Amino acid sequence: MERVEELADQILSQFAGLGYEINRDEVIKRLKLLLYEFKVPESEAVRTVRNWIIKEYGIPREKVVEAPLVKIKDITKPGQWVSLKAKVVQIWDSTSPSVSQVGLIGDETGIIKFVIWAKSGKGEVEEGKCYLFKNVVTDSFQGRMQINVGRTSEIVEIDEDIQLPPREIEVIGALVAIQQNSGLIQRCEQCHRVMTKGICPIHGKVKGYDDLRVKGVLDDGENVYEIILNEGNIKDLTGIDLEKAKQIASERLDRNAVLSELKRILLGRYFKVAGVRGGRYLLVRRVEKILGVKADEVDKLLEVLA
Amino acid sequence: MNGFRRREVARRAFAYEINRSTYRFPREDEKSPAYVLTPLGVRVNRVFIVGALLDKEEIKPDSGIWRIRVSDPTSAIYGYVSRFQPDALESLMEIDVPELVAIVGKVRTFEVGARIFVSLRPEYVSPVESGVRDYWVYETAKHTIERIKAMERKEDEDVKLAWQIYNPNLDEYRAIVKQALLTLKGTIAEGEEEEEEIQGFEEEFEFEEEEWDLSDILKE
Repeated sequence: MERVEELADQILSQFAGLGYEINRDEVIKRLKLLLYEFKVPESEAVRTVRNWIIKEYGIPREKVVEAPLVKIKDITKPGQWVSLKAKVVQIWDSTSPSVSQVGLIGDETGIIKFVIWAKSGKGEVEEGKCYLFKNVVTDSFQGRMQINVGRTSEIVEIDEDIQLPPREIEVIGALVAIQQNSGLIQRCEQCHRVMTKGICPIHGKVKGYDDLRVKGVLDDGENVYEIILNEGNIKDLTGIDLEKAKQIASERLDRNAVLSELKRILLGRYFKVAGVRGGRYLLVRRVEKILGVKADEVDKLLEVLA
Repeated sequence: MNGFRRREVARRAFAYEINRSTYRFPREDEKSPAYVLTPLGVRVNRVFIVGALLDKEEIKPDSGIWRIRVSDPTSAIYGYVSRFQPDALESLMEIDVPELVAIVGKVRTFEVGARIFVSLRPEYVSPVESGVRDYWVYETAKHTIERIKAMERKEDEDVKLAWQIYNPNLDEYRAIVKQALLTLKGTIAEGEEEEEEIQGFEEEFEFEEEEWDLSDILKE
């Protein structure tokens, strides 16, 4: 009997916080029926009673649905309502107008893909900032978990610095591919998305600004990692910064000349990349070029053969 | 994985091992990659090779199909580049042989009579510095040693298949790896016997391309 009252008080306190006064006896009666009569599990009983209250008192759904706060590593099943605090690690180019933003968020336990649907009408997030993602739905896409931000979700910026997984990995691999949308690119001034031929996938024909990046594939013979090198990385590796890139483009009257030049310098070379693994992405923290092999490393292999 | 195809890893193998890969896995469907099994029991489709581009020649004037010969410290391998590989063709046209190059490409097999030959279909050909070649030789040696160890364990399905089909002499492969590693030390590798065998292989490989339909190797 005590347990039922406890559960009832939990439910009541939740609604009291929202300014609703619920009939306690009614709640207890319903809980008892579900638990003792119908032998429903506790969580189901609570959920049913909460749903009944919401309907009965006409409470707007988004006001009450408070999904539990979880860590990213605990997201293993699709179709769960959760809330999480996370840092935006990377924003990708949205390939579909129905997607407002897509990218990766992370907390100390892991990294996961997020999708903010355009029709959710939620504000946009910024790379490097931390947010509370409230009432988002877990989903599975192409065999991987992700979270979807929909109409009833909420994104609140928080004043916390969330640490990403400490386990940084180091990969030495060859850069075996550079994607076409690399080099001297244009981003939309409003949403920072990469524009194609002066057109932003969301805002259409708008003013853009120049940026330099390389989207490529690092391959160590066992795994492939998609990496994104930003202007700083590119400058360190090739000596080409944004200014130099613009100069190359104007000299050759072709923006693509920058991509050709970067391909010429980078493709087929080995790099050591340190970063955090998120799905098939390796989030680059440091990158350096491998210039050769040390004699003692060769000796070690020869010993194995001896 | 839910019908989602991951990018194929580029395997590291010396030309010596690739050239001796004659077993083709049946394709699961039209779009699945065509794998060959190497004598050391690894399924290969895409490879990454760094070596000396020794020859490039158009197989017939104005055919737009170029035959290249690339050699690593163990052996030479042939490749074909055509307009179906625009990136590779573009960079190939700018290269004067001999030149050190890195190649990402797919391994293709074709039959001539009863024999099966292996060739490369490059996705790109990129001139590189000697440090890249050095690291590649080191890395490829490391991967090959791992494969030799796996062959000794005889656990993996593909490894068992490789024993069944090729019954390789592992010492021969150890010698090849050693020879390759020694080139890094600037030491002259001993292995005249090996040299002869490679020579013989190349001679047999000289042929007239017109006799066969190359479309298989060249198209996706």
